[in-house]
Amino acid sequence: MITPELFDHLVELAALELSPTEAEYLRQQLNNQLKALQELVAIPLQESIPPALHGVSFPAEIRPPIREDEWLPSSQVEAILKQAPELDERYIVVPDIPHQDLE
Amino acid sequence: MTIEYEAVIGLETHIQLNTLTKIFCPCKADSWNDPPNTNICPVCTGLPGVLPVLNKAAVEKAMLLAAAMNAEIQPISFFDRKNYFYPDLPKGYQISQYNLPIARGGYLAFPMPDGSERKVTIQKLHLEEDAGKTKNDFGRRLIDFNRCGVPLVEMVTGPDLRSADEAAQYIIRLRQLLRWIGVSEADMEKGHLRCDANVSIRPKGSNVLNPKTEIKNVNSIVAVREAIQTEIQRQIREVEAGHRIEAWTLEWDEESGILRKMRSKETEADYRYFREPDLLSLQIDESWKTAVLSTLPELPLQRRARFAQQYGLPIYDADILTSERSLSEYYEATLQAYQGDPKRVSNWIINDLLRILNDLGIIAADLRVTPAYLAQIIRMVDENVINLSTGKALLDKVQNSGKDPATIVAEEGLAKLSDTDALEAMIQQLINENPQQVENYRKGKTGLLGWFVGQVMKQTQGKADAQLTRSILEKYLNP
Amino acid sequence: MDLCDYAAYQLAWMIRRKQVSAVEVLESTLNRIAAVDGVPGRLDGGQDTEPDKIHAFITLTAERARQQAQRIDQAIQAGEEVGPLAGVPFTVKDIFCVEGTPSTAASKILSNFVAPYTATPVARAEQAGGIMLGKVNLDEFTFGSSNESSAYRPSPRNPWNTARVPGGSSGGSAAAVAAGEGCLSIGTDTAGSIRQPAAFCGVVGLKPTYGRVSRYGLIAFGSSLDCPGPLARNVSDAALLLQVMSGADPHDSTAANFPVPDYVTDLEKPIRGLRIGLSPDYFRITYVEGESGELAQQPVPEDYQQAIYRVAGRLAEMGADIIEDVPMPHTKYSIPAYFVISRVEAASNLHRYDGVKYGYRTKQPVHDLREMYRKTRGEGFGLQPKLRILMGMYVSAAQYSEQYYMRALRVRTLIRRDFEAIFDPQGKYRLHALLTPTTPTTAFPIAQVYGDSVLMQFADQLTVAANHAGVPAISFPCGFDPEGLPYGAQLIGADFSEDLLLRIARNYEIVTESDQWRKRIPPILQNL
Repeated sequence: MITPELFDHLVELAALELSPTEAEYLRQQLNNQLKALQELVAIPLQESIPPALHGVSFPAEIRPPIREDEWLPSSQVEAILKQAPELDERYIVVPDIPHQDLE
Repeated sequence: MTIEYEAVIGLETHIQLNTLTKIFCPCKADSWNDPPNTNICPVCTGLPGVLPVLNKAAVEKAMLLAAAMNAEIQPISFFDRKNYFYPDLPKGYQISQYNLPIARGGYLAFPMPDGSERKVTIQKLHLEEDAGKTKNDFGRRLIDFNRCGVPLVEMVTGPDLRSADEAAQYIIRLRQLLRWIGVSEADMEKGHLRCDANVSIRPKGSNVLNPKTEIKNVNSIVAVREAIQTEIQRQIREVEAGHRIEAWTLEWDEESGILRKMRSKETEADYRYFREPDLLSLQIDESWKTAVLSTLPELPLQRRARFAQQYGLPIYDADILTSERSLSEYYEATLQAYQGDPKRVSNWIINDLLRILNDLGIIAADLRVTPAYLAQIIRMVDENVINLSTGKALLDKVQNSGKDPATIVAEEGLAKLSDTDALEAMIQQLINENPQQVENYRKGKTGLLGWFVGQVMKQTQGKADAQLTRSILEKYLNP
Repeated sequence: MDLCDYAAYQLAWMIRRKQVSAVEVLESTLNRIAAVDGVPGRLDGGQDTEPDKIHAFITLTAERARQQAQRIDQAIQAGEEVGPLAGVPFTVKDIFCVEGTPSTAASKILSNFVAPYTATPVARAEQAGGIMLGKVNLDEFTFGSSNESSAYRPSPRNPWNTARVPGGSSGGSAAAVAAGEGCLSIGTDTAGSIRQPAAFCGVVGLKPTYGRVSRYGLIAFGSSLDCPGPLARNVSDAALLLQVMSGADPHDSTAANFPVPDYVTDLEKPIRGLRIGLSPDYFRITYVEGESGELAQQPVPEDYQQAIYRVAGRLAEMGADIIEDVPMPHTKYSIPAYFVISRVEAASNLHRYDGVKYGYRTKQPVHDLREMYRKTRGEGFGLQPKLRILMGMYVSAAQYSEQYYMRALRVRTLIRRDFEAIFDPQGKYRLHALLTPTTPTTAFPIAQVYGDSVLMQFADQLTVAANHAGVPAISFPCGFDPEGLPYGAQLIGADFSEDLLLRIARNYEIVTESDQWRKRIPPILQNL
């Protein structure tokens, strides 16, 4: 059960600002989804069953070779910077992060 | 009565590997002197839809480092995502290794200046990507992604260090090792080797682990020593005043020499680690491992001990000669060519060659004075072909010209003047031209002998055999 | 029948033989779009605008397409070698980056993002001569099974009945293909997002083996599940598009280094002796009962079941062996495991949308960085991304991750083993494919399910297991329900058996070629 307190914590972790209506809908949906998860928690699982990072097992013969250390300059540098909401010269600009002195 | 305290210190180091390209994309890794946001691409700026592709060289350098730290390289390891928001982290997660990293265990045993030895265990050694850089600008943050994706090895020690000096020594020896095995430039000023310190105190002899503080950004040897010392003193003051030590995160301001507390909000985090689905497991088979580790050289502290033992060098000499790998190789190559007293070669290198290296800012491998040339010079001095000061001057001449020392001696006529007849004629004339000094000498001012020797040296531009000159002078002055 | 209604392989052939030009084919397609699509989705658009149109597009790049088509025609005139898709118009789900085009993921948070690079599957389709028409709508960040969660409204409608959803998340792709707005579309499938809309819209959709097609440039949802794949009006066209998209990619470490077979040449080889299975576990769905939260089971509607048995019958006519009662015991855990794995990956994948480097940044004044993050993400994401982010945060939190996330990864192993067992050439069943319904129902009415995130998720129940296991699966049309909505049949195969699945599906097309239901066309096309 996701309590309002836990919900607020998740919202803070997720860096989301929610309206009260949104928050109420989302918390209720989360709790509904958690019910669907009870099945998962209840599945009898033998210790010997390993987790699968992917379904396909990627045996050695189909793994792509590891990348060699060769420099390939990107042609998209300026196009990437052009996407930034705020630029100063070549720096991307964001609001400040406050700090606090100890003593 | 006063309690004596000891510090319990663990160091978390981030080591930039000196690969040509970044760990997950083919951008150039080294951006020193490059304008901001130039060595970037869709991958390292976290554009929607991009995927990481692992750099082989980063893995191989991590393998070398792991082996040098006596850690066990794992046949299978995984990458994980460490999730958090920070503007220098474009994907909102760092690709790192969490519970199944590339290596396990490990330690570094190193000497303290007093000759005692410390052994520091390694609790964590894994590969990850570096974040970008941010800087303050009057209430704004400016972000540069050039550093994003530079390969890092994060290495965390156990709480095994007991003083600020020990911590500093560990960093000094680590830096030496990194350069020695060629995995990192390890220049702390350039951020190649960065350090955070975990510090707590306890009464000496106790085994408890008290709450610790973490000091971020101790990024020079001096900073390591000073920040830790400052924090130890602060903790002692707090404890003696009856206060509890709280698990703060502190930041060392190197310029003003003070510790700042970071906002706890930013530091308490659940990183929600999970396996990076965009990368397959990293598999290192025996043949790859063997091939990579076959390039691992004898390590500096082993070579230091061997030099002392095999060549009978004082530990002071062995330490200096093994301070840098090519210097130690230079020493052994010279000794090989010289086939003589190991200490004599050590003296030449420590007293004279290091000055040239420092003046030119180069390493021994870059010298034009090759080990063979140095051996030749020492032998010429030994065999009285040239005198000592000529020999030392010859070092610079060879370095500047790249010419064979013997050629320079011949071309410039630097060989000692040991022709007795020529010297006798010169001295006869000297005595004839300076009757007053001769008389004073004969009256007992024997110190004037040096003046006569000096005159001969002046006329011969220092090439006269000093011993021969002296004995001829004595013959003429004491008839 | 207009040019735009021809099959891709026919058009490619006609264009290469100069019977028709790429520009003519393009103009026919653009005319169709003008006739049936209506206004494209926009951030400030209303859902009820033009309820009788398709609204497949977010961005139509007609000029770009014209230039491409002209280049193809010039190349053909000059006698140059052109690719297998030369002149064939296709659309791209707006979850792929295409250089110089808005790449929105149907989200406000990427509404102003213009991609500086092109996704590998799209680049390969273009290199093969395909003409990209533009970017089509989807559920926001692919999070949905009805396309209704798109921030770009109106969201697409089903060409067979515009009061119905086209399915999702590749709803724009399926609707566009069904309505003749491009012969082909590149979609993505994380839990069924190609197959389910393909079934709802009566077209062919193929989810390849994980690693068969590069994910580079696909804006990630569940990175261990996402697969780009083709949607087409017939099996041969799907094979053609898959052929050019597949193969290793230096930009994707999970793109398998496995040779790409010829998917096209052997399509019509007979299927005699192939073993095709039917599993009772794919003829019922397990779901969570509304209030009680209890799990309940319900059979797939009888008429849908019969449609699939009829497919089995026709395949048997072609000589396939039909094997019944194949057990797939872990299928019912697919949705709960998916709830965990996909949310953990999605929450992490959505971290990067923070207003720093690209995309939307809040216009409100902020005091510090964190507030900028909160406002940007609060305003930029719709409800479905927010829900997935929060769920992902919860189940991957340090204290829960063992209970949920690690457990889900182990359940994935069980699901995978179900498939390994039935496809094992030495095993009891030795199947070449498993035949199932693609979806638990035909296309449902707009607004009927949307809002109930759990119920919506269960629309993927019959498709998601293949994503967990990484195996390939194809959905193809197999008739209509009494309301005139298409049924979809699904074939699931072993790793890298796309060629086999395509061949079986093509054989089904051959054997049903003269069936009455094959002659139907979507009502919206009847009065053109």
